[in-house]
Amino acid sequence: MDYIGGLIAAFISVVLINNLVLTKFLGICPYLGVSGRLDMAFGMGMAVTFVVTLAGTVTWLIDHLILMEYGLEVTRYVCFILVIAGAVQLVEMYVRKFFPSLYESFGIFLPLITTNCAILGLCLFLNLWDIQNFVKAVVLSFGAGIGFTVAICIMAAIRENLEMADVPKSIKGAPITLITAGIMTLAFLGFAGMIK
Amino acid sequence: MSSNTNTISLGSTFSRGIWKENPVLRLLLGMCPTLAVTGALKPAITMSICVMFVLTCSNIVVSLMRNLLKPHLRIMMFTLTIATFVTIADLAVKAFAYEMSQTLGPYIPLIIVNCIIIGRAEACASKNNLVVSIVDAIGMSVGFALALCAVAAARELLAAGTLMDFSVMPDKFVPWAAMSMPVGAFVVLGLLLGFINAITNKSS
Amino acid sequence: MQIVKFFIQKSWLLLIAAFCFGVLLAVTNAVLSPMIEKNRIEALNQKMRHLISDANTFEPAVEGVVIADAKTTIYKGLNDANEPVGFAFVGIGSGFADKIQLVIAMDAKCQKLKGFQVLMSNETPGFGDKIKEKWFQGQFNDAPADKLQLSKSGNIEEKDDTIVSITGATISSDAVVSVFNTYIKEVKNILKKEGIIQ
Repeated sequence: MDYIGGLIAAFISVVLINNLVLTKFLGICPYLGVSGRLDMAFGMGMAVTFVVTLAGTVTWLIDHLILMEYGLEVTRYVCFILVIAGAVQLVEMYVRKFFPSLYESFGIFLPLITTNCAILGLCLFLNLWDIQNFVKAVVLSFGAGIGFTVAICIMAAIRENLEMADVPKSIKGAPITLITAGIMTLAFLGFAGMIK
Repeated sequence: MSSNTNTISLGSTFSRGIWKENPVLRLLLGMCPTLAVTGALKPAITMSICVMFVLTCSNIVVSLMRNLLKPHLRIMMFTLTIATFVTIADLAVKAFAYEMSQTLGPYIPLIIVNCIIIGRAEACASKNNLVVSIVDAIGMSVGFALALCAVAAARELLAAGTLMDFSVMPDKFVPWAAMSMPVGAFVVLGLLLGFINAITNKSS
Repeated sequence: MQIVKFFIQKSWLLLIAAFCFGVLLAVTNAVLSPMIEKNRIEALNQKMRHLISDANTFEPAVEGVVIADAKTTIYKGLNDANEPVGFAFVGIGSGFADKIQLVIAMDAKCQKLKGFQVLMSNETPGFGDKIKEKWFQGQFNDAPADKLQLSKSGNIEEKDDTIVSITGATISSDAVVSVFNTYIKEVKNILKKEGIIQ
């Protein structure tokens, strides 16, 4: 029971308290780029969740079973980025072949994901947080994807309403989005301290 | 090509990175380090130096092998080059500025996925000769450094009343702690972008 | 055979580049890794020397002990005459937002604390990061190496087992105190078992 409780706590903490977008500034480019419409944002979020879960799991395994075992930590970044690029490529081919309708809806985001810092960032944080447990690594990877989806969807919903607002001309677009994101981080700050 | 046009084009290659195509302020690339490491000036400067090193080296390598690149393995080649130089930069920071490497944490390896670098490899280095690529890399990194330092200076000044750890504000100044939190990063960058937009709107 | 030939034709550049980059990385790593290791030890030593000011060198007393699911090493501080003057170790606990890592020091008899230094923390600026301030850290200096308690009010000058918490950052203060409470008892037990102290 304690074990499952720990996993749930880890999940909540990575979604709300240590949200990659709002506290670690990862994945800001797509956050600003595709948060214009809610359905696009959701598609992007789902695609990222899928890839980050896969990449987080695989890189954790490579890191612990190969790199640390043989003292090859110096090649860690090269391995991680190659795994991510490979995973994105594979997912793209697989989805295009077997789920054409799904490919139509979020296929366009897939190539963009390789350079999404949230993915590589999560893989690096798994190493930095010193996660020793495989199941926990998978839960954290999945949670990071969900956290990204939550942040980008909230942002998209706000921006759809912001369209109607009378914003000064110079801060239309990216500037007002950044300021809104700043206010959102304040709201998310309220979650800190929820888990001890 | 006469030597005269050559100098002009080199000069404009250099200067476009600073203002007309400033990667952060105009193209909105590489936002992640701009927000994450700008809590104070020192980490921002360290980050800029790392980016300059990686960008210059990757542009040199890509430019040298530009005629040998196969289209479908191109991106793979770029990523491999960038990841190698980022690892070298990371090791160097750990060896020569250990405290700074603790502050910057995972944001140095995250240079790998900084869109500026792969973007320049694709748009400039794979099409131009060595000299143009190097000048372009330096111009772009100076533009990046200027944007980073502008945000970092504003945040450090308001959050701690210091610049480069030297106290510059009057004694009565009350530090504005929110500026060193994530919200400070977002709001300062947002207002800076708005300010730049206001200038360009007026001049056009 | 045809496939191998095709493969090499397409990717010879990638293979050669991968080999060159591999060599480059290996050389850089071989040159820089001793310096990195030295820096890491020096950073820890500096914090420990700050706490145990009369110690000259530090050497591991007990290595690889597991306390609260985390591995740590207990260091022994030695003065010029090679006599032990104190013990120090790194303790980890969960703070307000993220984990906090503290360097904690005790005197040679493990009766009094010698304070702590923050090795890594990510607490809220203006509130939780006041655990780095002198008045808060000073309370742990010379306090008894026993169970500590947190209180909202009290005298910060008095060296007793009551720690006055930071206003607006009760959780961060509590995190520091609980790292002390978890580790001090265990470390004392381990040192006794090893026969290093009575």
